[in-house]
Amino acid sequence: MNRTLFAKELRSNLFVFGIVYAVLVMYIAVVVSMFDPELGKSLDMMMASIPELFAAFGMATQATTLTDFMLNYLYGFLLTMFPFVLIVIMANKLMVRYLDRGTMSYLLATPNSRTRIATTLAGAMVALLALLAMLVTLAEVGCAELMFPGDLDTQGLLRANAGMLALWVFLAGMCFLSACLFASASAALWVGGGAGILFFLMQMLSQAGDKLEFLENVNPLMLFDYYGLAAGEGEAALGAAALAVIGVALFTVAVAVFNRRNLSI
Amino acid sequence: MTLREAPQKAQGGSVEGDALAEDKACGENQASLVGEIFEGSGVAAEERSREVPSGTAAIEVCGLVKDYGKGRGVFDVSFAVQPGEVFGFLGSNGAGKTVTMLNLMGFIRPDAGTARIGGRDCFIERARIQQSLGYLPGEIACMDEMTGTAFLEFMARMKRLQDRNRMRELVDYFELDAGRRIRKMSKGTKQKVGLVCAFMGRPDILLLDEPTSGLDPLMQSRFIDLVMAEKRRGATIMLSSHLFEEVERTCDRVAFIRAGRLAAVENMDDVRRSRKRVFSVTFADAVACERYRTAHPEAAGKSERVVEVTVAGSKAPVRGAAVHSAGSISASMSASMSEAARSTTEPMTGITHSATGSTDAFVKDLAAYPVADLAAREQSLEELFMHLYGADASEKGGSHE
Repeated sequence: MNRTLFAKELRSNLFVFGIVYAVLVMYIAVVVSMFDPELGKSLDMMMASIPELFAAFGMATQATTLTDFMLNYLYGFLLTMFPFVLIVIMANKLMVRYLDRGTMSYLLATPNSRTRIATTLAGAMVALLALLAMLVTLAEVGCAELMFPGDLDTQGLLRANAGMLALWVFLAGMCFLSACLFASASAALWVGGGAGILFFLMQMLSQAGDKLEFLENVNPLMLFDYYGLAAGEGEAALGAAALAVIGVALFTVAVAVFNRRNLSI
Repeated sequence: MTLREAPQKAQGGSVEGDALAEDKACGENQASLVGEIFEGSGVAAEERSREVPSGTAAIEVCGLVKDYGKGRGVFDVSFAVQPGEVFGFLGSNGAGKTVTMLNLMGFIRPDAGTARIGGRDCFIERARIQQSLGYLPGEIACMDEMTGTAFLEFMARMKRLQDRNRMRELVDYFELDAGRRIRKMSKGTKQKVGLVCAFMGRPDILLLDEPTSGLDPLMQSRFIDLVMAEKRRGATIMLSSHLFEEVERTCDRVAFIRAGRLAAVENMDDVRRSRKRVFSVTFADAVACERYRTAHPEAAGKSERVVEVTVAGSKAPVRGAAVHSAGSISASMSASMSEAARSTTEPMTGITHSATGSTDAFVKDLAAYPVADLAAREQSLEELFMHLYGADASEKGGSHE
């Protein structure tokens, strides 16, 4: 890791990070405020009228506790899709653009090994995601405690968020590898980004219809079982651990690829 | 002996011989060559061989091949730059200058052959090499969103420079207004940022890809002064260009690259001497022009009153010196020179190296004609190329005529 580069990358990604975080905080606040054991029934009625649509966004469970309610409405889509957008933007800023615009030549015109530079860039990405997970947790706990003191199963939420971070790291590793792998900027960005979008679409389809449920078996996103994590199930923890391990492996491969490839910059 | 100390030796006069020998030194020949050079220098040689793993050249490219398909890339390029030397790399756009630079920077891996700096492999030991290297990319793409000052500070930290005085000196020297965002800067200003970045670490070796592009004439000459100052400091400099003048004013030796192949490596003095003037003569009337063209069928007719005549350069010094330097020209050049002499269109250019009187003869001959206007220019790079390497070069390089 190179501290100068790390600091620069944290700074240059802070703006988009802030926007994504602000959007997430807004949704968290709205979802938490919508929780009302009484009013929830009307939401349940709406859900019952168009169950496929709700199911597609992973909001299929009839939530009775605040924790379940949050898991239902936040974790299936909002807390995965928005950070995924951030991941794609960061992969673009941290690697694709450096190579496409040739600014990587400046980074490599310094006595820093390629491994060190790629590790620093990947490190900045993971650090920002970890920070986001932390801040999201804070916002969730804050909102819940503010509006419904004592209702939240904080332990369960923390476990779910650890799994959520593992999922983000997996998605980030995928996008970073794609960024390191391809010479053309659009391929570098959209092979990784496209794979992510595909996984999300597969998830929505398999949740909405019975016929497409087989898609669950080939979708890495399914390793993130937030209900299981919140409930403290061993299998869910294994799934999250697998995501984290695959994510780190993808980053490692990405650094190795970057180390060896030709950079016509 | 370190790289910095080496120039004294190089400037002691053996640089030509060594350099030419080095140019041929590839692969298996290298070991014996190193032996030859070190022979007789005892302890110093031992020390140096420890310092520099192989060869003595600051920059050494051997049989370099990087094929991008469709004739793009570089093919079997070999040359060596001695410590303390300023080495020009001359070729038209797309000839392979930047590809060679990218290999030297360790950004790309050669398909075949080697690129070494200070005896180290440019790809594998890039980070180590970069400790004392300054690089100016051919395409200036700084980090747009930063200000010039922030970018230079960032680069200084990345290069782990302790001292910012040199950076400030250079910013003042190039009259660089570094406070603005790089995105808003003109091409020349961006180029200045790149130049400051390349020179600010007082590197032992400088790789500059088209360094003066975008600079105004004043800044171009400041750049040339800076290169000369760095040379005096002992830096080894390799600069690529498609402009002959830029290379002419700074370089000790020059390599000509064309269509990815190295045509020749020459001493700058020899090239300068063999470079010709092109006189464009406008006659007072078409009859005179016709008469001149009959007398000189080789003069190129441009219109009914204008001809272009190529004459040996007026910069050729006394005859003795010319003959002496002709002896140091590589065999390949001598061969192509005589070939060029045969095929050239102007009889006065026939005797290339001792043609000190040709401008004189040309002017005196011209006195017999009514001349309306006379304009002179230096041969362009392409013309020089044609002149030096004749039909052979034009076949390789495709039709540039």
